[in-house]
Amino acid sequence: MKMLAKRWMAGTVAVVTVAGLAACATGDADSDGTVDGPVTISVGGMPTTERPEERAFFQNRIEEFEKANPDITIEGEETRYDVNTFNALLAGGGLPTLINVPFTEMQGLISRQQVLDVTPYTSESEVLSQLNPRVQEVVSSDDKIYGVPWTAYTMSLLYNRDLFAAAGLDPDAPPTTWDEVREAAVAITESTDAQGFGSMTTENAGGWAAATMAYSFGGLVENEEGTEATVDTDAMREVLEFYQTLRWEDNVFGDNFLLNYDDASQQFAAGNIGMFLQGSDAYPRMVDSLGMTPDSVGIAPLPQESNGLGTLAGGTVAVITPTATEAEAAAAIKWIEFHRFEKYSSEEAARAEAEAGVAEGVTVGSPESPVVDEAVYATYLSWIDDLINVPRENFTVFLDSVETLPLVPEPATKAQEVYALLDPVVQAVLTREDADIPALLESAQSAAQSAIDAG
Amino acid sequence: MATTTLRPRSTSMGSSTRAGRRSHPIARWLKYGGPVRFLFILPTLLVFGLFAWWPIVRSLGISLQQTNFVTTRWVGLENFTRVFADPLLGTATVNTIWFAALALVIGFPVPLLLAVAVSEMRRARGIASVLAYMPVILPPVVATLLWKAFYDPSSTGLFNSIFGSVGMDPIPWLNNGDLAMPAIVVQATWASFGTATIIYLASLMSIGPELYEAAEVDGAGFFRRIWHITLPQLRSVILVLVLLQIIGTLQVFAEPFIMTGGGPENRTVTILMLIYRYAFISGDYGRATALSLLLAVALTLVSLIYLRLTKKWSSS
Repeated sequence: MKMLAKRWMAGTVAVVTVAGLAACATGDADSDGTVDGPVTISVGGMPTTERPEERAFFQNRIEEFEKANPDITIEGEETRYDVNTFNALLAGGGLPTLINVPFTEMQGLISRQQVLDVTPYTSESEVLSQLNPRVQEVVSSDDKIYGVPWTAYTMSLLYNRDLFAAAGLDPDAPPTTWDEVREAAVAITESTDAQGFGSMTTENAGGWAAATMAYSFGGLVENEEGTEATVDTDAMREVLEFYQTLRWEDNVFGDNFLLNYDDASQQFAAGNIGMFLQGSDAYPRMVDSLGMTPDSVGIAPLPQESNGLGTLAGGTVAVITPTATEAEAAAAIKWIEFHRFEKYSSEEAARAEAEAGVAEGVTVGSPESPVVDEAVYATYLSWIDDLINVPRENFTVFLDSVETLPLVPEPATKAQEVYALLDPVVQAVLTREDADIPALLESAQSAAQSAIDAG
Repeated sequence: MATTTLRPRSTSMGSSTRAGRRSHPIARWLKYGGPVRFLFILPTLLVFGLFAWWPIVRSLGISLQQTNFVTTRWVGLENFTRVFADPLLGTATVNTIWFAALALVIGFPVPLLLAVAVSEMRRARGIASVLAYMPVILPPVVATLLWKAFYDPSSTGLFNSIFGSVGMDPIPWLNNGDLAMPAIVVQATWASFGTATIIYLASLMSIGPELYEAAEVDGAGFFRRIWHITLPQLRSVILVLVLLQIIGTLQVFAEPFIMTGGGPENRTVTILMLIYRYAFISGDYGRATALSLLLAVALTLVSLIYLRLTKKWSSS
């Protein structure tokens, strides 16, 4: 009797399991099968109900698109890229056909083959083949293109214009070298309650910022092919010595050295940090989300030493799920062209998007690195000129640098792991006065090389 | 009472055995409510199957695979090799054991002593219990963020303001490699001691007052009563709670993740944080699952050793 019950139980479990697997398999087959004729795709990034005007604009765009393309049905989803859920969505088949991801994740996604190669589709697109090649490089690997970048920024020096003024500094003439940054940091700390300089230090952001600074001192953290770690360089040593000087000699680095991206942003927006490194796209976040006064936000190009290589590029890339069919991928590319790039060729579309932003009370015309040709971008700005609610005159120095400051791509291999290895190095320099920089770099170099070699 | 309930059941089973000799097993199964019994256990089977057993079986597979959840490749024990090759594994293991040890030293006596103190109270015992349990009601992330603010290393941080009022210099708390882990343990103890206190208190309340009265008659003082009556009476509860605490603290994640991100200088990186980094930062689910399985094996061994060591005490 017991044996029979056991067998029966095992049988039940097997049936349940097989049934579950069969159900999954059916779902996969549906999404994998090539669809002729009408095609339906899901697109992530739809504004949430907290932003009704922008959501309505997004849904109107879907209606317009479907009217112009009767064979394509778009299902808007609020899904956004989240490192904690991306793989689960991909494994469970719940990833939208199209999702937006940050530049920093692209290299990992490409190496893990978790995004579709869209070269065949973008090369046929007149709009997308004209994208700024400097930005296009970020989404390319082995002459293949893995996404469509539709916003871009550069790692920059964010500074608080009010604190600059209070310290007797000219907010319209931000520092251009690291020596000038140091002088400004000292002046801010002496004249105000804020710390002159700060940095993100945890969740890989410490390494991200340090690597970016190293570019401005003339060094990369990996060779261009991504086969060799180059963490232990004069450039990185200079970065850490700069930190060391500001922390222990000048005492302008504050007290808290465990700040992630959000912590540092909040401290900056609250007026507790005079300067720190972050993306130039931070303006909407600082003003719309963290309540900073528009005129307080200062953005300067990343200061460069005489042998500086430029700055790290960032932004948002629309990628297509690797399980998409050809028809779905083609439809998704068509949607990106329409939704993200029509504003550069149609004044009506440009103004409609800007008007939705104004109605929502969010920033319109914030500083960014154009993903399209300079002339095209200028025309776009002229169309929405009267709707721009950002004091762009405050960013003249930054905007002038956009086309001239060279862009350095993310490290080609294991970028996030190399950044993670640099976090404790930065923390050591900031929390221990006797931190041995050469020893720390030697150890990080060895660990980074091991990570790269592990493939 | 228990005997009278069991007897009819025993009789019924005996008769079913006799009936079984005369009929086909399936007929017998149907006669004694087979399908209905199955319906009763079906929800449990489904829930456990989908959310416990299947993930366990799946994780065994993933630990031997390299997968991007689109294509999968079997790699044998490579994931385990890569886990052992990670120089951070040793650091994370030491940190985790250090956390568990500190949590045991700080976290074990606090709820026990508090429960004893509350049980001795003549009045306001209910209020004291509620106050002790209060921190557990706070969502863990909120409580941890709150303490992160308390530990603000500047002179305006809550703790530093208090210590500053008696002339002490600001303490870097989480920014100091030596202080960070103890600081996290204090927070974790504060956040969780309420549950253990309530369980100890419930056990204390069930100890017959006649034992204490007899001890008092024999001239036993407060500490002798605790040593000779309270602790022996609580031993099975203590054994279970300590085991649960050891298992729980060896899986610590949220507190260091939120408060320090593993810093400074990896001094608060734990094994679970390493698993998180493998899975969500590196997208390396094979290696993350391999380390998860190793942790599960280690926890099983720790539990077995613990049970073995305490066998004599628990059965005495």
